[in-house]
Amino acid sequence: MKGTSIQQKLMRVILITCAITLLLTSSAYFGYQYFNLKQTYLKQVANTGKIIAFNSTAALAFDNANDAEEILSSLKVDEHIVGAALYNQDGKLFAKYPENISVTDLPVKPQGDGYGVQNSNFEGFQPVMEGNKQLGTLYIRTDRKAIHELFAFYTLASIVILIFSLVVAYFISRILQQSISKPILALAEVSKSISVDKDYSVRAIRYTNDETGALTDAFNQMLSQIEHQNRDIISFNQQLEEKISERTEELERANKELEAFSYSVSHDLRSPLRALNAYSQMFEEDYAELLDAKAMKLLGNIQRNAKRMGRLIDDLLEFSKLGRKELVKTNIGMNQLVTEVMKEVSDGKQNTSVITVEDLPDCLADRGLIYQVWVNLISNAIKYSSKKENPVIHIGSKINDNQVVYFIKDNGAGFNMDYAKMLFKVFQRLHSPKEFEGTGIGLAIIARIIAKHGGNVWAEGEVDKGATFFFTISNSR
Amino acid sequence: MMDIKKPELLKRLYNCIILLLIGMSLTAQTTSVSSAEVKAAFLYNFATFSEWPAEAFANPNSPFTIGVLGENPFGTALNEIVLNETKGGRPLTIKYFSQIEDVKDCQILFINLQKPSAQIQALEALKKQNVLTVGDTPDFVSKGGMIRFFVENNKLRFQVNLSAIKESNITLSSKLLRLAEIFNNPKL
Repeated sequence: MKGTSIQQKLMRVILITCAITLLLTSSAYFGYQYFNLKQTYLKQVANTGKIIAFNSTAALAFDNANDAEEILSSLKVDEHIVGAALYNQDGKLFAKYPENISVTDLPVKPQGDGYGVQNSNFEGFQPVMEGNKQLGTLYIRTDRKAIHELFAFYTLASIVILIFSLVVAYFISRILQQSISKPILALAEVSKSISVDKDYSVRAIRYTNDETGALTDAFNQMLSQIEHQNRDIISFNQQLEEKISERTEELERANKELEAFSYSVSHDLRSPLRALNAYSQMFEEDYAELLDAKAMKLLGNIQRNAKRMGRLIDDLLEFSKLGRKELVKTNIGMNQLVTEVMKEVSDGKQNTSVITVEDLPDCLADRGLIYQVWVNLISNAIKYSSKKENPVIHIGSKINDNQVVYFIKDNGAGFNMDYAKMLFKVFQRLHSPKEFEGTGIGLAIIARIIAKHGGNVWAEGEVDKGATFFFTISNSR
Repeated sequence: MMDIKKPELLKRLYNCIILLLIGMSLTAQTTSVSSAEVKAAFLYNFATFSEWPAEAFANPNSPFTIGVLGENPFGTALNEIVLNETKGGRPLTIKYFSQIEDVKDCQILFINLQKPSAQIQALEALKKQNVLTVGDTPDFVSKGGMIRFFVENNKLRFQVNLSAIKESNITLSSKLLRLAEIFNNPKL
């Protein structure tokens, strides 16, 4: 019954109840009839016997056997009377019915009065009385076919009644069950249409004042609540969106201002620095012989710091330019790019690192920027492994969650994983400039370029055991 | 004990034969007297299966009388049959009359007069008298008698003159009439 509709369930319940009730009723009727019928039939036979006995008085009194047989022959109206006989006062067989019945089939002489069951027949003796005088005895015997026929009739009647009642019950219940199923079905229909159309303004019609009516009310109330909340959510969402776009605009404006500011600052900082550089160089060239060793060392310090500041400003300019630069995506042959980078990085420098490069998959990205990424990563790897005896650098790729991950691994100074997140922030350095040169902007630039491409960059490392830098480009194939 | 001795067997056989002979003689006797006895019984049954009006009796306590006019053919049979019997609360009695003038307070009368003229005279006298007249002469009903005995296939039967019955106030039971041969009066 799980898959059937409530209508069918109701119909079944009604019809099954009906059928069981009818069956029980007819069973009870059968049971009653079973006990009753025998008595009724015996009584009926006794009554027939009484009538025949009453009619046979004169025939017996006047010893007219022909007449007696004629009277007995009237028993033929009841086909179930299979034998009858009249005995005279002396108990001798006087007349018999039917004519062809054998004398041996009949009792030799009358026995006690009364009716009962004998050899699966009903039979009995009935005194033939005239006044107080017994003129003879009537014997009458019936088969039990009458009862069997009656039972067959009852059975047939019960079946017909059962079928008829069930048909009537079916039609009545078809009408009556609607009072229960209609509101529920209407409710179900409404909820279905809501779940399909997402229209929460629809309302279920209330048909009754009973529990289903209450259910409908509750359902409608729920709907109006949902509708109300939906409206709230939508308006809230709109407000949020408005706010977000407002903020985004503000942010963009602020960002642009900041970039313009940092650009102009970097640019403006460069010219005095260039002057400082030039003058200190001129100072060294023109007055070198007048200066002692200590002064020369101080002057060297001035020049080195000025140069460092120049690099810092260059890097900052580079970094701020990134914010404004539009991406020009092309298909990049990664291996070719890495080879070019390696050539540039090692150009004119002493390089003891052993660099191995795997076959790298191509990607769609801004060539110049990715070039910059590799420059920074490879020079970092060389730089931080340069103090090892046998520096080894490995460049490769792997597939992680359907994404190509490029990585570069070295066996250099490494870093403490606790600070892994700080690596990619501007001016954040884990090593002092004395240990390793650098401005602390390189990784921040990488992070910015990768973020612009929609990719990810991260690093794994251990102090003195090397570091691995990973990056993905979101649209890499 | 299973072994029955010959003399004993013979004795038993002898007994059997004697019993058989007695039985046969009894049967023969009943046949010879049956005619009168049966008629007597029929007379009694006529009383049983017929109704008389109250005026047929002298007073409410009068007995129900079956009379025999003329020679009595029944011997004591009639007296034996009605012994201790009643009809509608009245005791049944038998009266014997030798001539019609003597007949009085009688509901059934068996007329057994030898002279035809006497019989005609008697029937004439009893007309409309609420007396059921019974006889066995062949012309009994044609002469105005009510019930006539006759023998058919060795059985006693009776003929009823309905018009004569109608003239009296006696009612014959339909059960009785079933058994009767109805006499059709050629005059009607």
